[in-house]
Amino acid sequence: MPMQKPLTDFDLAEIKSFLFSEAEFLDQGNLRDWRDLFADDGTYWLPASWQQEDPHNHISLIYEDKMMMAIRVENFGHRLAPSMQYPLRCSHILGHFRVLAHNENTITIKSNFQVIVYYKDQTLYAGTYIHKLRPLDNSYEIVEKRVDLINCDADHRSILIYL
Amino acid sequence: MTYTSQHLQSLVEPHRVHRDIYTDPEIFKIEMDRLWRHAWIYVGHESQVTEIGNYIATTIGYEPVVMTLDKNNVIQVLHNRCGHKGTKVVTQRAGSAKMFRCPYHGWTYQLDGKLHATPHACGYENTNFDMDDPRYSMRPVARVDTCRGFVFACLSAEGPELLTFLGDTALTINNMCDRSPEGEVEVAGGSLPYMHDCNWKMFVENLNDAIHPMVAHASVGHATRKVVESLPEGSPTPREAEIISPFGGSYKFFDAMGSRTMPYGHSFMGGQSSIHSGYSDIIGYMDAMKTAYGVRRTEEILSQQRHNTTVYPSFTVKDAIQIVRVARPIAVDKTLIETWHFKLKGAPDEMLHRTITYSRLINSPGSMVGPDDWDCYSRMQQSLHSDSSHWVDMRRYLGRNESEGNVNVAPGTSDESARNQYRAWRHYLLGEAI
Repeated sequence: MPMQKPLTDFDLAEIKSFLFSEAEFLDQGNLRDWRDLFADDGTYWLPASWQQEDPHNHISLIYEDKMMMAIRVENFGHRLAPSMQYPLRCSHILGHFRVLAHNENTITIKSNFQVIVYYKDQTLYAGTYIHKLRPLDNSYEIVEKRVDLINCDADHRSILIYL
Repeated sequence: MTYTSQHLQSLVEPHRVHRDIYTDPEIFKIEMDRLWRHAWIYVGHESQVTEIGNYIATTIGYEPVVMTLDKNNVIQVLHNRCGHKGTKVVTQRAGSAKMFRCPYHGWTYQLDGKLHATPHACGYENTNFDMDDPRYSMRPVARVDTCRGFVFACLSAEGPELLTFLGDTALTINNMCDRSPEGEVEVAGGSLPYMHDCNWKMFVENLNDAIHPMVAHASVGHATRKVVESLPEGSPTPREAEIISPFGGSYKFFDAMGSRTMPYGHSFMGGQSSIHSGYSDIIGYMDAMKTAYGVRRTEEILSQQRHNTTVYPSFTVKDAIQIVRVARPIAVDKTLIETWHFKLKGAPDEMLHRTITYSRLINSPGSMVGPDDWDCYSRMQQSLHSDSSHWVDMRRYLGRNESEGNVNVAPGTSDESARNQYRAWRHYLLGEAI
């Protein structure tokens, strides 16, 4: 892919700020505004295997397009869902950002994360994010968010919110 | 405490069971010993060990076992225990080996479990140590048998043959395989382990409990309907909605599906119709089936619409969507549920994609269906300790079933499948006739 002009420090600061706000929507349990950050063709992927290549021929913990995200927005906190009748709060830490690829259409950025989720018990999830972002006039939209847990193939209990 | 037969017998009445069977670690031990050691338990599928030395590790009740293909191309199920000090020899869930080697003192075993060598063997001279004594091997389990590639094992030499045990549930396994234009399935797409904080029986009972979906899964049903209704007019129904929507089906819908029970605690729902009946055709699949089987046989195969088939106590299968879920009890209040996906050989890839989509939407720890079941099980596990009542009721449609040969037919929302499981439970724990 032809390399465009290198990303400036200013671009990087903007991208980081975008990713921090994305994480903050999750910290606030605000899935509706979080979903709006995704492109119409955007996907969220939480693989179930290490270095998983394919969401279609192999099981994932979560792999959702914007329509499924809309269902999850409606279901999240629903009074009729037994699993939703508990406090659910999370806290994200992101760091070690590195740009994997960029051109005029997309920027792919990898970061390390830790998310502490309080849901009945407190659980620590950790791993890497790969965000594929599409620049807009004043911001970005998410084309793909891939979440690789270091324990993706462990015996998980329920995961009630996007990580 | 030690349970007498009389006491155990008093825990199961025709329409209710005592809560201790879900909460008492002592009863869990008795179940592992008398039920899980005497029933046929699902181990794995032949397609997981196609080359000599391929293995998978799992458990049968308390017992860690390893399934492998030995050098004579025979599938072996061995106790995963070193004959020396009892170390677990294989720890990977799957792999390949020329021989098994204990990492502690280096004893090595052939693929059929026979002891191959012990290092520095001079120390065993004049000690009556016999290399060929099975006590020093990785012992094969008492019995291993297969049904269309599905490998089951029984830790007891006594009891019915596998096919007698499976009875009419073998038709579900057959149907799943017949849905392949080549008549064979293989494990594909990885597995999904999901840890449950509940007794194993809660999961197994739930599979043919059709009085819960419209309540426990109401929210995802509503959410799906709302989103689908907001799609532009004329949009095709998304596959995801086809899969999720039936979970919000009415009582009438589930009653009509019917519940069928049979000896050894097995049951299935559906027959002519099920939650899988409304799926759209996948391009190329019907053609492949008709070419392989002809029109009439294809229609016959695809007209079998079973929902969950439960092979008590460990194995549950959805033939129409090619998914198997296996219960692996760990403690009285802890159960690992494994989901396995099967590819129909000779069918378009799209069929596997649908299987994977179903599993992700319904069975995954990250889905919007499984976690609601999970939560209800763990609520029961906690609150059954309450002394306000000691009984769990299961009297829905009591006495309202009809006999069709070896199979009993009841309305779909009947508790008959649970009552039938407890008849088998009494058979295993108390030696009552099946």
